[in-house]
Amino acid sequence: MSIWDKILQLDRRWIYLMVALAVIFPLIVPMTFKIYITPEVRQLYNAIDSLPDSSVVMLTFDYYPSTLAETEPMSVAALNQLFQKNCKVLTLTTVPLGGPSIAERVTRKIAKKYHKVYGVDYVNLGYKANYVAVLKGMGTSIEAIYPTDNSGTPLSKLPMMKHIKNYNDIKFIFVVSDNGIVDYWISIVNAQYGIPVGSGVTAVMAPKFYSYIGSKQMTGLLGGMKGAAEYEILVKERGMAVKGMTMQSLVHLLIIGLVILGNVAFFASRRNHKKGEHF
Amino acid sequence: MSAVEMIQIWVMAFFTLAIFSFLYKDNPVYRVAEHIFAGLSAGYYVGLIWKSVIIQQLWEPMMAGSWWLIIPGLLGALMFARFWEKISWVSRISLAFVMGNTAGIFLISQLHGLVLPQIKATMLPLGGGGGLTAALLAIIIVLGVISTLIYFYFSKEHKGALGVTAKVGIWFIMIAFGAHFGYTVMARISLLIGRVYFLWNDWLGSLAHIF
Repeated sequence: MSIWDKILQLDRRWIYLMVALAVIFPLIVPMTFKIYITPEVRQLYNAIDSLPDSSVVMLTFDYYPSTLAETEPMSVAALNQLFQKNCKVLTLTTVPLGGPSIAERVTRKIAKKYHKVYGVDYVNLGYKANYVAVLKGMGTSIEAIYPTDNSGTPLSKLPMMKHIKNYNDIKFIFVVSDNGIVDYWISIVNAQYGIPVGSGVTAVMAPKFYSYIGSKQMTGLLGGMKGAAEYEILVKERGMAVKGMTMQSLVHLLIIGLVILGNVAFFASRRNHKKGEHF
Repeated sequence: MSAVEMIQIWVMAFFTLAIFSFLYKDNPVYRVAEHIFAGLSAGYYVGLIWKSVIIQQLWEPMMAGSWWLIIPGLLGALMFARFWEKISWVSRISLAFVMGNTAGIFLISQLHGLVLPQIKATMLPLGGGGGLTAALLAIIIVLGVISTLIYFYFSKEHKGALGVTAKVGIWFIMIAFGAHFGYTVMARISLLIGRVYFLWNDWLGSLAHIF
Protein backbone atom coordinates (compact mmCIF):
# COMPACT_ATOMS: atom_id res chain seq x y z
CA MET A 1 0.00 0.00 0.00
CA SER A 2 1.46 3.39 -1.04
CA ILE A 3 1.56 6.47 1.18
CA TRP A 4 -1.28 7.96 -0.91
CA ASP A 5 -3.52 4.95 -0.25
CA LYS A 6 -2.74 5.21 3.46
CA ILE A 7 -3.75 8.88 3.44
CA LEU A 8 -7.01 8.04 1.67
CA GLN A 9 -7.82 5.39 4.28
CA LEU A 10 -6.82 7.54 7.26
CA ASP A 11 -9.08 6.95 10.27
CA ARG A 12 -11.32 10.01 10.64
CA ARG A 13 -10.46 10.13 14.36
CA TRP A 14 -6.95 11.37 13.49
CA ILE A 15 -8.61 14.33 11.77
CA TYR A 16 -10.75 14.99 14.85
CA LEU A 17 -7.56 14.97 16.92
CA MET A 18 -5.82 17.40 14.56
CA VAL A 19 -8.83 19.76 14.66
CA ALA A 20 -8.90 19.55 18.47
CA LEU A 21 -5.18 20.39 18.64
CA ALA A 22 -5.65 23.32 16.25
CA VAL A 23 -8.38 24.69 18.54
CA ILE A 24 -6.39 24.17 21.76
CA PHE A 25 -3.03 25.45 20.42
CA PRO A 26 -3.90 29.21 20.54
CA LEU A 27 -5.06 28.76 24.14
CA ILE A 28 -1.55 27.61 25.07
CA VAL A 29 0.41 29.85 22.69
CA PRO A 30 -1.44 33.19 22.34
CA MET A 31 -1.53 34.49 18.77
CA THR A 32 -3.72 36.79 16.68
CA PHE A 33 -4.81 37.02 13.04
CA LYS A 34 -5.89 40.30 11.49
CA ILE A 35 -9.66 40.67 11.13
CA TYR A 36 -10.98 42.83 8.26
CA ILE A 37 -14.32 44.61 8.51
CA THR A 38 -16.82 43.67 5.78
CA PRO A 39 -19.33 46.22 4.39
CA GLU A 40 -22.37 44.32 5.77
CA VAL A 41 -21.06 44.51 9.35
CA ARG A 42 -20.08 48.17 9.01
CA GLN A 43 -23.55 48.91 7.61
CA LEU A 44 -25.17 47.43 10.72
CA TYR A 45 -22.82 49.30 13.04
CA ASN A 46 -23.43 52.59 11.20
CA ALA A 47 -27.20 52.09 11.25
CA ILE A 48 -27.20 51.88 15.05
CA ASP A 49 -24.53 54.56 15.38
CA SER A 50 -26.71 57.03 13.48
CA LEU A 51 -29.76 56.53 15.72
CA PRO A 52 -30.80 59.59 17.79
CA ASP A 53 -30.20 59.55 21.55
CA SER A 54 -32.75 57.51 23.58
CA SER A 55 -34.06 55.69 20.49
CA VAL A 56 -35.95 52.50 21.24
CA VAL A 57 -34.31 49.43 19.73
CA MET A 58 -35.78 45.93 19.79
CA LEU A 59 -33.12 43.25 20.28
CA THR A 60 -34.17 39.64 19.83
CA PHE A 61 -32.56 36.56 21.34
CA ASP A 62 -33.97 34.10 18.81
CA TYR A 63 -31.43 31.36 19.41
CA TYR A 64 -30.98 28.10 21.27
CA PRO A 65 -28.14 27.41 23.75
CA SER A 66 -26.52 25.07 21.21
CA THR A 67 -25.37 28.02 19.07
CA LEU A 68 -24.23 30.30 21.91
CA ALA A 69 -20.63 30.34 20.65
CA GLU A 70 -21.73 32.20 17.52
CA THR A 71 -24.74 34.17 18.67
CA GLU A 72 -24.02 35.30 22.22
CA PRO A 73 -21.01 37.45 21.22
CA MET A 74 -23.34 39.24 18.77
CA SER A 75 -25.89 39.97 21.50
CA VAL A 76 -23.16 41.12 23.88
CA ALA A 77 -21.61 43.44 21.27
CA ALA A 78 -25.06 44.74 20.28
CA LEU A 79 -25.93 45.57 23.89
CA ASN A 80 -22.56 47.28 24.30
CA GLN A 81 -23.19 49.52 21.31
CA LEU A 82 -26.83 50.18 22.23
CA PHE A 83 -26.01 51.17 25.82
CA GLN A 84 -23.01 53.22 24.65
CA LYS A 85 -25.45 55.06 22.37
CA ASN A 86 -27.87 55.50 25.30
CA CYS A 87 -30.63 53.60 23.46
CA LYS A 88 -33.64 52.09 25.21
CA VAL A 89 -33.47 48.35 24.68
CA LEU A 90 -36.49 46.07 24.40
CA THR A 91 -35.48 42.41 24.38
CA LEU A 92 -37.61 39.40 23.51
CA THR A 93 -37.32 35.87 22.18
CA THR A 94 -39.38 33.60 19.98
CA VAL A 95 -37.33 30.57 21.03
CA PRO A 96 -38.64 28.65 24.04
CA LEU A 97 -35.63 26.53 24.96
CA GLY A 98 -33.07 28.80 26.58
CA GLY A 99 -34.06 32.05 24.85
CA PRO A 100 -35.72 33.77 27.85
CA SER A 101 -32.98 32.90 30.34
CA ILE A 102 -30.16 33.80 27.93
CA ALA A 103 -31.80 37.20 27.29
CA GLU A 104 -32.15 37.80 31.04
CA ARG A 105 -28.57 36.76 31.87
CA VAL A 106 -26.79 38.59 29.04
CA THR A 107 -28.83 41.80 29.23
CA ARG A 108 -28.53 42.19 33.02
CA LYS A 109 -24.76 41.60 32.85
CA ILE A 110 -24.11 44.25 30.17
CA ALA A 111 -26.64 46.71 31.63
CA LYS A 112 -24.85 46.59 34.98
CA LYS A 113 -21.61 47.63 33.25
CA TYR A 114 -23.28 50.82 31.93
CA HIS A 115 -25.32 51.44 35.12
CA LYS A 116 -28.59 51.00 33.22
CA VAL A 117 -31.78 50.47 35.21
CA TYR A 118 -34.31 47.76 34.46
CA GLY A 119 -37.70 49.17 33.44
CA VAL A 120 -36.16 52.58 32.66
CA ASP A 121 -33.40 51.78 30.17
CA TYR A 122 -34.25 48.23 29.18
CA VAL A 123 -37.06 45.71 29.41
CA ASN A 124 -37.07 41.97 28.79
CA LEU A 125 -40.40 40.86 27.33
CA GLY A 126 -39.44 37.18 27.44
CA TYR A 127 -41.02 34.44 25.34
CA LYS A 128 -44.42 34.02 23.71
CA ALA A 129 -45.47 31.07 21.60
CA ASN A 130 -46.52 31.31 17.93
CA TYR A 131 -44.04 33.77 16.50
CA VAL A 132 -46.14 34.74 13.48
CA ALA A 133 -48.97 35.91 15.74
CA VAL A 134 -46.44 37.62 18.02
CA LEU A 135 -44.75 39.50 15.15
CA LYS A 136 -48.06 40.54 13.60
CA GLY A 137 -49.68 41.40 16.92
CA MET A 138 -46.92 43.74 18.08
CA GLY A 139 -47.75 45.96 15.08
CA THR A 140 -51.02 46.79 16.82
CA SER A 141 -50.11 46.54 20.49
CA ILE A 142 -47.05 45.16 22.26
CA GLU A 143 -48.96 45.09 25.54
CA ALA A 144 -51.72 42.94 24.04
CA ILE A 145 -49.12 40.30 23.13
CA TYR A 146 -46.94 40.75 26.23
CA PRO A 147 -49.19 41.90 29.09
CA THR A 148 -46.24 41.31 31.44
CA ASP A 149 -42.46 41.24 31.13
CA ASN A 150 -40.35 38.10 31.60
CA SER A 151 -40.61 38.34 35.39
CA GLY A 152 -44.39 38.81 35.41
CA THR A 153 -44.41 42.59 36.01
CA PRO A 154 -47.26 44.29 34.09
CA LEU A 155 -45.85 46.46 31.27
CA SER A 156 -48.00 49.36 32.50
CA LYS A 157 -45.84 49.48 35.65
CA LEU A 158 -42.56 49.86 33.71
CA PRO A 159 -41.67 53.54 33.02
CA MET A 160 -39.93 52.76 29.70
CA MET A 161 -43.03 51.05 28.30
CA LYS A 162 -45.30 54.10 28.81
CA HIS A 163 -44.22 55.52 25.46
CA ILE A 164 -43.81 52.25 23.58
CA LYS A 165 -47.10 51.00 22.21
CA ASN A 166 -46.25 49.25 18.93
CA TYR A 167 -43.70 49.15 16.06
CA ASN A 168 -44.27 52.87 15.39
CA ASP A 169 -42.29 53.62 18.55
CA ILE A 170 -39.34 51.43 17.60
CA LYS A 171 -36.49 52.84 15.51
CA PHE A 172 -34.54 49.68 14.75
CA ILE A 173 -34.90 45.92 15.16
CA PHE A 174 -31.75 43.87 15.72
CA VAL A 175 -32.48 40.18 15.22
CA VAL A 176 -29.90 37.73 16.56
CA SER A 177 -31.00 34.31 15.41
CA ASP A 178 -30.01 30.74 14.64
CA ASN A 179 -33.20 29.81 12.78
CA GLY A 180 -35.56 30.85 9.98
CA ILE A 181 -37.36 33.47 12.10
CA VAL A 182 -35.27 36.15 10.35
CA ASP A 183 -37.40 35.61 7.22
CA TYR A 184 -40.51 36.59 9.18
CA TRP A 185 -38.92 39.67 10.70
CA ILE A 186 -38.23 40.72 7.10
CA SER A 187 -41.45 39.60 5.41
CA ILE A 188 -43.84 40.64 8.19
CA VAL A 189 -42.23 43.43 10.19
CA ASN A 190 -39.90 45.15 7.70
CA ALA A 191 -42.17 44.74 4.68
CA GLN A 192 -45.46 45.59 6.36
CA TYR A 193 -44.42 48.12 9.00
CA GLY A 194 -41.29 49.58 7.39
CA ILE A 195 -39.05 49.18 10.46
CA PRO A 196 -35.36 48.75 9.55
CA VAL A 197 -34.13 45.27 10.47
CA GLY A 198 -30.49 44.26 10.94
CA SER A 199 -29.46 40.77 11.87
CA GLY A 200 -26.78 38.56 13.31
CA VAL A 201 -27.10 34.94 12.24
CA THR A 202 -25.14 31.71 12.47
CA ALA A 203 -22.66 31.07 9.66
CA VAL A 204 -24.79 28.22 8.27
CA MET A 205 -27.60 30.67 7.62
CA ALA A 206 -25.57 33.68 6.48
CA PRO A 207 -25.34 33.02 2.69
CA LYS A 208 -29.13 33.01 2.37
CA PHE A 209 -29.51 36.44 3.94
CA TYR A 210 -27.08 38.24 1.63
CA SER A 211 -29.99 38.48 -0.83
CA TYR A 212 -31.84 40.66 1.72
CA ILE A 213 -28.84 42.99 1.84
CA GLY A 214 -28.89 43.17 -1.97
CA SER A 215 -32.60 43.98 -2.01
CA LYS A 216 -32.12 46.54 0.80
CA GLN A 217 -34.65 44.72 2.98
CA MET A 218 -32.00 44.16 5.63
CA THR A 219 -29.77 46.86 7.13
CA GLY A 220 -26.53 45.02 7.84
CA LEU A 221 -25.66 41.42 8.55
CA LEU A 222 -23.33 39.60 10.96
CA GLY A 223 -22.43 36.16 9.60
CA GLY A 224 -21.33 33.71 12.28
CA MET A 225 -18.34 34.13 14.56
CA LYS A 226 -16.47 36.15 11.90
CA GLY A 227 -19.29 38.71 11.73
CA ALA A 228 -19.45 38.84 15.52
CA ALA A 229 -15.68 39.41 15.73
CA GLU A 230 -15.84 42.28 13.21
CA TYR A 231 -18.70 43.83 15.16
CA GLU A 232 -16.80 43.49 18.47
CA ILE A 233 -13.88 45.38 16.89
CA LEU A 234 -16.17 48.18 15.65
CA VAL A 235 -17.84 48.47 19.08
CA LYS A 236 -14.35 48.44 20.67
CA GLU A 237 -15.33 45.62 23.04
CA ARG A 238 -13.19 42.66 22.03
CA GLY A 239 -14.67 39.47 23.43
CA MET A 240 -15.22 35.81 22.78
CA ALA A 241 -15.64 36.17 18.99
CA VAL A 242 -12.29 37.91 18.44
CA LYS A 243 -10.57 35.30 20.63
CA GLY A 244 -12.35 32.50 18.79
CA MET A 245 -11.33 33.74 15.34
CA THR A 246 -7.69 32.82 15.96
CA MET A 247 -8.71 29.20 16.58
CA GLN A 248 -11.16 29.44 13.67
CA SER A 249 -8.41 30.60 11.29
CA LEU A 250 -6.03 27.83 12.38
CA VAL A 251 -8.71 25.15 11.85
CA HIS A 252 -9.58 26.64 8.45
CA LEU A 253 -5.91 26.45 7.42
CA LEU A 254 -5.83 22.83 8.61
CA ILE A 255 -9.00 21.96 6.67
CA ILE A 256 -7.70 23.67 3.51
CA GLY A 257 -4.46 21.68 3.88
CA LEU A 258 -6.39 18.43 4.38
CA VAL A 259 -8.64 19.11 1.36
CA ILE A 260 -5.57 19.73 -0.84
CA LEU A 261 -3.79 16.68 0.59
CA GLY A 262 -6.87 14.50 0.09
CA ASN A 263 -7.20 15.57 -3.55
CA VAL A 264 -3.48 15.10 -4.26
CA ALA A 265 -3.65 11.65 -2.63
CA PHE A 266 -6.75 10.76 -4.65
CA PHE A 267 -5.19 11.63 -8.02
CA ALA A 268 -1.76 10.19 -7.12
CA SER A 269 -3.35 6.94 -5.94
CA ARG A 270 -5.45 6.72 -9.11
CA ARG A 271 -2.37 7.33 -11.28
CA ASN A 272 -0.42 4.63 -9.39
CA HIS A 273 -3.25 2.12 -9.84
CA LYS A 274 -3.50 2.91 -13.56
CA LYS A 275 0.27 2.39 -13.91
CA GLY A 276 -0.08 -0.91 -12.04
CA GLU A 277 -2.78 -2.05 -14.48
CA HIS A 278 -0.41 -1.48 -17.45
CA PHE A 279 2.30 -3.75 -16.03
CA MET B 1 -17.12 30.90 42.87
CA SER B 2 -20.09 29.49 44.79
CA ALA B 3 -20.70 25.77 45.29
CA VAL B 4 -23.80 25.95 43.02
CA GLU B 5 -21.77 27.51 40.20
CA MET B 6 -19.10 24.87 40.67
CA ILE B 7 -21.65 22.05 40.40
CA GLN B 8 -23.18 23.68 37.29
CA ILE B 9 -19.79 23.88 35.59
CA TRP B 10 -18.95 20.25 36.40
CA VAL B 11 -22.33 19.00 35.17
CA MET B 12 -21.90 21.00 31.94
CA ALA B 13 -18.36 19.68 31.51
CA PHE B 14 -19.48 16.08 32.09
CA PHE B 15 -22.21 16.30 29.44
CA THR B 16 -19.94 18.10 26.97
CA LEU B 17 -17.28 15.37 27.30
CA ALA B 18 -19.96 12.65 27.22
CA ILE B 19 -21.26 13.97 23.87
CA PHE B 20 -17.71 14.40 22.51
CA SER B 21 -16.97 10.77 23.42
CA PHE B 22 -19.10 9.75 20.41
CA LEU B 23 -16.31 11.04 18.16
CA TYR B 24 -14.25 8.06 19.27
CA LYS B 25 -17.13 5.60 19.05
CA ASP B 26 -20.70 5.05 20.22
CA ASN B 27 -20.77 4.29 23.95
CA PRO B 28 -23.18 4.09 26.93
CA VAL B 29 -22.02 7.40 28.43
CA TYR B 30 -22.89 9.21 25.19
CA ARG B 31 -26.29 7.52 25.05
CA VAL B 32 -27.09 8.43 28.67
CA ALA B 33 -26.23 12.09 27.93
CA GLU B 34 -28.31 12.04 24.74
CA HIS B 35 -31.37 10.59 26.50
CA ILE B 36 -31.12 12.99 29.42
CA PHE B 37 -30.91 15.91 26.96
CA ALA B 38 -33.99 14.72 25.04
CA GLY B 39 -35.99 14.15 28.23
CA LEU B 40 -35.00 17.46 29.82
CA SER B 41 -35.81 19.40 26.63
CA ALA B 42 -39.26 17.79 26.34
CA GLY B 43 -40.03 18.42 30.02
CA TYR B 44 -38.84 22.03 29.87
CA TYR B 45 -40.86 22.65 26.68
CA VAL B 46 -44.08 21.21 28.17
CA GLY B 47 -43.66 23.32 31.31
CA LEU B 48 -42.94 26.48 29.34
CA ILE B 49 -45.88 26.02 26.95
CA TRP B 50 -48.20 25.23 29.86
CA LYS B 51 -47.21 28.48 31.58
CA SER B 52 -46.87 30.81 28.58
CA VAL B 53 -49.81 29.56 26.49
CA ILE B 54 -52.37 27.72 28.61
CA ILE B 55 -52.05 29.84 31.75
CA GLN B 56 -50.90 33.26 30.47
CA GLN B 57 -52.68 33.42 27.12
CA LEU B 58 -55.82 31.38 27.83
CA TRP B 59 -56.70 30.82 31.49
CA GLU B 60 -55.72 34.18 33.02
CA PRO B 61 -57.37 36.35 30.30
CA MET B 62 -60.52 34.19 30.55
CA MET B 63 -60.63 34.68 34.30
CA ALA B 64 -60.17 38.41 33.70
CA GLY B 65 -63.33 38.50 31.58
CA SER B 66 -62.23 37.58 28.04
CA TRP B 67 -64.69 34.68 27.84
CA TRP B 68 -64.58 34.58 24.04
CA LEU B 69 -61.16 32.89 24.39
CA ILE B 70 -63.09 29.70 25.12
CA ILE B 71 -63.51 29.37 21.32
CA PRO B 72 -59.75 29.05 20.49
CA GLY B 73 -59.44 26.98 23.67
CA LEU B 74 -62.05 24.53 22.40
CA LEU B 75 -60.47 24.49 18.93
CA GLY B 76 -57.17 23.54 20.59
CA ALA B 77 -58.86 20.84 22.68
CA LEU B 78 -60.41 19.35 19.52
CA MET B 79 -56.90 18.51 18.29
CA PHE B 80 -56.72 15.80 20.95
CA ALA B 81 -59.59 13.97 19.20
CA ARG B 82 -56.89 12.49 16.95
CA PHE B 83 -56.14 10.03 19.74
CA TRP B 84 -59.56 8.35 19.26
CA GLU B 85 -60.13 6.89 15.82
CA LYS B 86 -63.94 7.21 15.83
CA ILE B 87 -63.95 10.94 16.48
CA SER B 88 -60.57 11.83 14.97
CA TRP B 89 -62.33 13.70 12.14
CA VAL B 90 -63.28 16.40 14.64
CA SER B 91 -59.64 17.59 14.76
CA ARG B 92 -59.97 18.62 11.11
CA ILE B 93 -62.11 21.57 12.19
CA SER B 94 -59.16 23.02 14.10
CA LEU B 95 -56.74 22.12 11.32
CA ALA B 96 -58.97 23.84 8.74
CA PHE B 97 -58.90 26.99 10.88
CA VAL B 98 -55.11 26.87 11.21
CA MET B 99 -54.60 26.21 7.49
CA GLY B 100 -56.94 28.99 6.40
CA ASN B 101 -55.42 31.43 8.84
CA THR B 102 -51.83 30.52 7.91
CA ALA B 103 -52.51 30.66 4.16
CA GLY B 104 -54.05 34.12 4.52
CA ILE B 105 -51.16 35.51 6.54
CA PHE B 106 -48.41 33.94 4.47
CA LEU B 107 -49.91 34.76 1.06
CA ILE B 108 -49.49 38.44 1.75
CA SER B 109 -46.23 38.32 3.71
CA GLN B 110 -44.42 35.99 1.31
CA LEU B 111 -45.55 37.79 -1.83
CA HIS B 112 -45.24 41.34 -0.55
CA GLY B 113 -42.27 40.74 1.73
CA LEU B 114 -40.13 38.23 -0.15
CA VAL B 115 -41.06 37.43 -3.75
CA LEU B 116 -41.68 40.91 -5.13
CA PRO B 117 -38.71 42.68 -3.44
CA GLN B 118 -36.38 39.89 -4.55
CA ILE B 119 -37.62 40.09 -8.16
CA LYS B 120 -37.21 43.87 -8.03
CA ALA B 121 -33.64 43.49 -6.70
CA THR B 122 -32.83 41.06 -9.52
CA MET B 123 -33.86 43.43 -12.30
CA LEU B 124 -31.50 46.32 -11.68
CA PRO B 125 -30.96 49.06 -14.28
CA LEU B 126 -27.52 48.79 -15.93
CA GLY B 127 -27.10 52.57 -15.92
CA GLY B 128 -28.22 52.89 -12.32
CA GLY B 129 -25.26 55.00 -11.24
CA GLY B 130 -23.06 52.31 -9.72
CA GLY B 131 -20.57 52.37 -12.57
CA LEU B 132 -19.17 49.49 -14.59
CA THR B 133 -18.78 47.10 -11.61
CA ALA B 134 -22.43 47.51 -10.57
CA ALA B 135 -23.58 46.95 -14.17
CA LEU B 136 -21.44 43.81 -14.44
CA LEU B 137 -22.80 42.46 -11.14
CA ALA B 138 -26.37 43.16 -12.29
CA ILE B 139 -25.71 41.12 -15.46
CA ILE B 140 -24.23 38.24 -13.42
CA ILE B 141 -27.29 38.24 -11.12
CA VAL B 142 -29.70 38.05 -14.07
CA LEU B 143 -27.58 35.38 -15.77
CA GLY B 144 -27.41 33.36 -12.54
CA VAL B 145 -31.15 33.55 -11.88
CA ILE B 146 -32.19 32.66 -15.44
CA SER B 147 -29.68 29.84 -15.93
CA THR B 148 -30.50 28.32 -12.52
CA LEU B 149 -34.24 28.47 -13.22
CA ILE B 150 -33.63 26.82 -16.60
CA TYR B 151 -31.65 24.03 -14.92
CA PHE B 152 -34.79 23.22 -12.91
CA TYR B 153 -37.00 23.23 -16.04
CA PHE B 154 -37.51 19.54 -16.74
CA SER B 155 -40.34 19.60 -19.30
CA LYS B 156 -37.86 19.69 -22.20
CA GLU B 157 -34.66 17.72 -22.68
CA HIS B 158 -31.54 19.74 -21.81
CA LYS B 159 -30.05 19.92 -25.32
CA GLY B 160 -28.73 22.76 -27.50
CA ALA B 161 -29.12 26.28 -26.11
CA LEU B 162 -31.27 24.98 -23.23
CA GLY B 163 -28.56 22.46 -22.30
CA VAL B 164 -25.77 25.04 -22.40
CA THR B 165 -27.78 27.47 -20.24
CA ALA B 166 -28.61 24.65 -17.79
CA LYS B 167 -24.88 23.85 -17.54
CA VAL B 168 -24.16 27.50 -16.71
CA GLY B 169 -26.90 27.15 -14.09
CA ILE B 170 -25.11 24.15 -12.57
CA TRP B 171 -21.97 26.28 -12.18
CA PHE B 172 -23.92 28.94 -10.32
CA ILE B 173 -25.51 26.26 -8.10
CA MET B 174 -22.09 24.70 -7.40
CA ILE B 175 -20.63 28.08 -6.42
CA ALA B 176 -23.60 28.61 -4.08
CA PHE B 177 -23.09 25.14 -2.58
CA GLY B 178 -19.40 25.92 -2.07
CA ALA B 179 -20.22 29.15 -0.24
CA HIS B 180 -22.79 27.34 1.90
CA PHE B 181 -20.32 24.54 2.69
CA GLY B 182 -17.58 26.99 3.64
CA TYR B 183 -19.95 28.82 5.98
CA THR B 184 -21.17 25.48 7.41
CA VAL B 185 -17.60 24.45 8.25
CA MET B 186 -17.10 27.81 9.95
CA ALA B 187 -20.34 27.38 11.93
CA ARG B 188 -19.50 23.89 13.15
CA ILE B 189 -15.97 24.86 14.14
CA SER B 190 -17.40 27.85 16.02
CA LEU B 191 -19.53 25.51 18.10
CA LEU B 192 -16.47 23.37 18.86
CA ILE B 193 -14.51 26.49 19.82
CA GLY B 194 -17.31 27.50 22.20
CA ARG B 195 -17.19 24.14 23.98
CA VAL B 196 -13.38 23.92 24.07
CA TYR B 197 -13.19 27.47 25.38
CA PHE B 198 -15.67 26.54 28.13
CA LEU B 199 -13.72 23.41 29.07
CA TRP B 200 -10.40 25.26 29.08
CA ASN B 201 -11.43 28.41 30.95
CA ASP B 202 -14.41 27.50 33.11
CA TRP B 203 -13.93 23.83 33.84
CA LEU B 204 -10.15 23.72 34.16
CA GLY B 205 -10.35 27.16 35.78
CA SER B 206 -12.68 25.72 38.42
CA LEU B 207 -9.95 23.25 39.36
CA ALA B 208 -7.86 26.18 40.55
CA HIS B 209 -10.62 26.94 43.08
CA ILE B 210 -10.57 23.36 44.34
CA PHE B 211 -6.81 22.89 44.60
